[in-house]
Amino acid sequence: MGLSEYIIMRELNFPEINRFERYCQVGGWEAYRTAVKEQTPATIVQMVKEAGLRGRGGAGFPTGMKWGFLPKGVYPRYLLCNCDESEPGTFNNHQIIDRNPHQLIEGVALSAYAIECNTAYIYMRGEFAAAALTLEQAIDEAYRAGLLGKNILGTGYDLDIYVHRGAGAYICGEETALMESLEGKIGQPRLKPPFPAVAGLYGKPTIINNVETLANVPRIVEKGVAWYRSHGTEKSPGTKCFSLSGHVNRPGNYELPFGLPLRELIESPEYGGGMKGGRPVKIIIPGGASAPWLTAKHLDVPLDYEGVAAAGSMLGSGAVIVLNDTVKAPHVAYKMDEFFKHESCGKCTPCREGTHWLVKVLHRLAEEGHAEPDDIPTLHGIYRQMAGNCFCLLGESAVMPIKSALELFPEEFEAIIKASNERHQRNGAHAIPLRVS
Amino acid sequence: MLLETHREAIETIVGRYASPRSAVLPLLYLAQDVYGHLSNAAIREVAGILALPETDVFEVVGFYTLFYSRPVGTWMLQVCDDVPCCYLGAEELITALKDSLQIKEEQTSADGMFTLQRVKCLAACDRAPVLQANLDYVYDVTPEKVEALLKDLRSRAADARRRGVSGRFAEDFAVTEQGAVELVARDAPYQSRQFEVQGPPPPPEPIPPPEVESGQDRAETRRASPL
Ligand SMILES: Cc1cc2nc3c(=O)[nH]c(=O)nc-3n(C[C@H](O)[C@H](O)[C@H](O)COP(=O)(O)O)c2cc1C
Ligand code: SF4
Ligand code: FES
Repeated sequence: MGLSEYIIMRELNFPEINRFERYCQVGGWEAYRTAVKEQTPATIVQMVKEAGLRGRGGAGFPTGMKWGFLPKGVYPRYLLCNCDESEPGTFNNHQIIDRNPHQLIEGVALSAYAIECNTAYIYMRGEFAAAALTLEQAIDEAYRAGLLGKNILGTGYDLDIYVHRGAGAYICGEETALMESLEGKIGQPRLKPPFPAVAGLYGKPTIINNVETLANVPRIVEKGVAWYRSHGTEKSPGTKCFSLSGHVNRPGNYELPFGLPLRELIESPEYGGGMKGGRPVKIIIPGGASAPWLTAKHLDVPLDYEGVAAAGSMLGSGAVIVLNDTVKAPHVAYKMDEFFKHESCGKCTPCREGTHWLVKVLHRLAEEGHAEPDDIPTLHGIYRQMAGNCFCLLGESAVMPIKSALELFPEEFEAIIKASNERHQRNGAHAIPLRVS
Repeated sequence: MLLETHREAIETIVGRYASPRSAVLPLLYLAQDVYGHLSNAAIREVAGILALPETDVFEVVGFYTLFYSRPVGTWMLQVCDDVPCCYLGAEELITALKDSLQIKEEQTSADGMFTLQRVKCLAACDRAPVLQANLDYVYDVTPEKVEALLKDLRSRAADARRRGVSGRFAEDFAVTEQGAVELVARDAPYQSRQFEVQGPPPPPEPIPPPEVESGQDRAETRRASPL
């Protein structure tokens, strides 16, 4: 069941929509023109609130409510668009920009108008150099059309949008680390509160939203709340661009209404097209590297924030990684925690040291096949010392892969330990009994 | 000196922010492209331009992975080895590159042409295996295509030097089945195998001829763009 109308991948079949004139031909920039000329900022905020738009950056936080946290009468305010997109398995922001940069820019412009700010930054991960140029070019076009800059459309409203490239650090996707990075510092998170809406970039009230979140705004304003709410579920209205990757026949981004079962995304010939070579599903990571794992028995879980949470995981960024039975759970946990170790900013000890030791043990066990009898209690011990003790969510997320692997596939760890033990025995070392905590 | 050669670009960049310090990443990119890598002198120069403590700028260079404080090859090859790429041929790709270039990770080939690095997810997991060459994306690089890719990159060495290692004029490429390296055309709809066209696409409407200053010439806009 394909969508009859796409929201994020608007005018999916319309060629050359990345060009200004083409985007305008399908009604692009109209919502913004009307808003700036005829609607008050508060009207736009109210629409976004009523539409029930939820942040697509991971937490699913209601966007209109976030905008409502801005203290009254404090200026300047800033809008930041988060395009750091570095979570393994997540690649929809990249494609949204490549395909249709104007929709994002219109979304940024509309949102900036709604929150009454005159400067917006789009923070992109440093690797998105080509996409940054695409955006800059599109922004130039909007300036030339008088949609950005000073005294927009004669209304007296000023807005500048700048693209700012990071330089390779996943942690800069965390909202306060992003602000630090944009201020020219190393990307280490700040203590909250104060929340960004109160004191963010340069200590000013700041709203930060994901690319996909902001790309929804033009359509909500143009077509209205009822239309938007006719997609998706009551609590998760609208559509979501799922990034499907791994051992499926047709990896890619698929825009679906919230609430479709996981099985349909993976198996439908329109989307994932089933597993490569017909092999069985072993591990499903439904929301990027930070999400607890699911398995084949969760294939009927509905893909919305509530459904995935009820299954014990999280929808997160909507990155669905599907792995087949050729992978070993300890190895997947090793690779995932290697990512977190690599990206740990080093500010707090549980994360900096915890990820280091997790990777050290997992490398020996999963890469080299050399295990110690009490590796399992050791691994449990390390992640338990991290959980609940890290300064930001990166460290907390690093717990998920190893915890999931140990919970779902303990026998694979035991088998490596057993084999390693037997090798020791053959070589004359003492046989040490396996301890499982 | 950057202030002499790139004053206008630097002023434009600094003018975007309420605090000049925010310009440190863009200026480091600029310095890296001009000098090839960030030597101590280059880092001090950036600190000087922005009137920042030198240690702060050294700290920034050390924190972010896209800044290179040692000389690197003409092409910086950064291969994603994260989940899921590592289960979709990334390891085989890295082995093929290592064999062909006779280097290990973090080393530079004898001719100074390539530096090889493993990196984490590049947000293109649907087109695995994937790498970036000076931040140009190259998609679908299976090991069989490595020789063709390296040959192509060698032939574009002058281009790489002109463009620098920081992706100043980066573009997207894919390696075809025949091993040819092709620009992913973005003036056409994004070349993806995943966005299925449902029903026949509407006939493209005639596009009014672009106005002279409408910036359709991508190359021109790029040159105009300071970073
Ligand atoms: C370690 C870490 C990395 C994150 N990376 C991103 C990211 O790349 N993109 C993003 O939009 N949000 C990311 N987030 C979430 C942001 O902190 C923030 O919640 C989000 O940008 C808010 O936007 P939204 O309300 O539109 O979802 C990350 C969070 C953490 C803790
Ligand atoms: S949890 Fe990790 S990433 Fe977050 S502040 Fe601590 S060290 Fe940095
Ligand atoms: S894991 Fe390789 S691009 Fe995402």
